[in-house]
Amino acid sequence: MRAWLSLASLLGGIVLLTAACATSEEWSEWRGHTTHFASGTHGFFSLRNNKDGSNPRVSRTDVDAARSENWWGKAITVSPEQIFQN
Amino acid sequence: MSRHDRIKRGGLLAALLVFAVLARSQALAAPADALMPIEKYTTPKARTLANTHRLRLLEFSEQIYNCMPWVAVYPGRLGFPKYKDSADDERYLSTWIYVDQRDDPVFAALPQERRVSAMFSRYGVDMLRRMAGLSDVVDDSDVAGLSVVLSWLKPGTSKPGQQAVNETVALFIDKTTAADFLAKRVGGEEFMSRARFNVFDGERLLGRLPIEVWEDSFNSTYKLSNYTPPKGARCQ
Repeated sequence: MRAWLSLASLLGGIVLLTAACATSEEWSEWRGHTTHFASGTHGFFSLRNNKDGSNPRVSRTDVDAARSENWWGKAITVSPEQIFQN
Repeated sequence: MSRHDRIKRGGLLAALLVFAVLARSQALAAPADALMPIEKYTTPKARTLANTHRLRLLEFSEQIYNCMPWVAVYPGRLGFPKYKDSADDERYLSTWIYVDQRDDPVFAALPQERRVSAMFSRYGVDMLRRMAGLSDVVDDSDVAGLSVVLSWLKPGTSKPGQQAVNETVALFIDKTTAADFLAKRVGGEEFMSRARFNVFDGERLLGRLPIEVWEDSFNSTYKLSNYTPPKGARCQ
């Protein structure tokens, strides 16, 4: 009995860890609407509505997950050595 | 099921759980990752600064991470570097952020110096203000000034089949001028003339473009719709 309780707790933990994120499709859509260019105009950073009219909630973890595949180290950027010394 | 099988299954599930946690955490850039590693500093002065103010910088990093998800501090780029050509060991409280934005035709149509002006006015001044708010760090006599580095996607370079390019502006300013500028005792033109700064197109140095600075309250007023900061985060 105790073993089954432990098993249930472990499975619950895994489900919570993996289910708290938006789907990759939602994030691909979200990434397409992240422009908030420096013109003084606000509000470009909006999310699409779900089909039922509700808006998906966005957590910091979702932002990380969306970014991890998209931008770290991929664009040509000046190296730190061209700017400063540690 | 035998006791041995139950133990084996429990062990396997525990290992799966640990794997799931590790796999997720590796994909994240946690606030602590933003801090320059102490062992990378090249002088005792810099190492002392990093050790003394580590907790404050960590709080600062957490604030950006939790409350400004539209920007990100590059890993290891929050700390106390010195200007690359500096002969002495003048240390600056410095933050290098990436501004996460997509191609936009209006932004793309701006001349490069206007794009830099717009980005610095919006994000650079705000970061300077936030860093200046760390009074115990800034008041440290070993801190010579503030530095902010901003990178963003150069318009038109994120096409399939080609490597994207970031534009970057890197600025260093002494403490007195920074304080006077933020208190509006020094104007934008004077501020820029006193600052050491360079603009880069990818890795190419463009030097001192004619940058204008204007008021922009985006970061202090903007709320990302539907975004929920992590529990316990205090976002003003």
